[in-house]
Amino acid sequence: MINEMLVQFAEWLYATGGSRAIEESFYLYNWIETTHVLTIMVCLGMLAFIDLRMLGYALPNVSASTIADRLNVPMMIGFAIMFVTGLLLFYAKPTYTNQSIWFRIKMVLLVVAFFNAIRFHRHMKASASTWCNEPRAPFNLRVSAALSLGLWAGVVTTGRLIAYDWYHCYRDLPGWLSAAAGCVAE
Amino acid sequence: MELLPFFEWAETTFLGYIGKTYGGVYATFGQSLHLMALAVLGGSVLVADLRLLNVIMKDVPSEIVTEQAHKWFRIALVVIICTGIFMAAAVAQRMYHNDFFWAKMSALLVGIIFVFAIKRPLLKGSHADLNPIVIKMVACASILVWFSVAATGRWIGFSG
Repeated sequence: MINEMLVQFAEWLYATGGSRAIEESFYLYNWIETTHVLTIMVCLGMLAFIDLRMLGYALPNVSASTIADRLNVPMMIGFAIMFVTGLLLFYAKPTYTNQSIWFRIKMVLLVVAFFNAIRFHRHMKASASTWCNEPRAPFNLRVSAALSLGLWAGVVTTGRLIAYDWYHCYRDLPGWLSAAAGCVAE
Repeated sequence: MELLPFFEWAETTFLGYIGKTYGGVYATFGQSLHLMALAVLGGSVLVADLRLLNVIMKDVPSEIVTEQAHKWFRIALVVIICTGIFMAAAVAQRMYHNDFFWAKMSALLVGIIFVFAIKRPLLKGSHADLNPIVIKMVACASILVWFSVAATGRWIGFSG
């Protein structure tokens, strides 16, 4: 049911003029994708430094709350651009992307990463004053930081794999994979 | 010097064979790792250069920030070069004829020379002894060079 609705929505998006204009423009589509990759350097680069600081591997002699506060702004700017360019990339190829198992796994990982970030900030705010000058964060924050690095590595990997159609609906897929990829009967 | 025979040979190596035969290995250990290392490299460049530009972490000495960021820059650069060689080996002959591949290699070479021959020696001592304009110019040039490396790298896939 939900897969049928998603397919209909993707087909409607695909039929809009904007979607066609982006996909058919060599420079526009490729520059949107390039910007998406460049913002990985900004957003995930900053995030990596915050997480590595919590784990004690980067800037251990600088207060952890200073790092988290100061790098948060450029990270969020990078994330905003990455989010918008990601939406545009989906808008350009909605029918293909909607039925990519990698895209769907990426979305799940993004949601988990979002809740992990909320948990991380909540713990950080509650306890930073007691440990922020220590070279390593307390155990629960280190777990969140390691999880964040792992989840974003998964987001990057699955994002890259969207380009590959190994498990796309026009292939011969097992039933569970076909359902997970959002394939619907013609 | 004719480089084509070298690129033809690269495709016949073990790395070239693995990358060409196993798409999953190429995509995950090549492309994805390359992107992750690029993220860390971008982070280390931005953390150091935005600090030199007085945009972030103004309350932390820039010597500490640039020194620490450089450690991660080196690690990321090694991973980028290793995964880059693996990826290029699989499609070496196509790379030889791809203009953006050569643009990226040129930008990468300029970036490496810039960091190890100009930026690092310049920033080794106290930053207070340096002309602030020079520091800001170095930071801007560094961001420009490394973002050019990333952009030209992405365009390799769009051409040829």
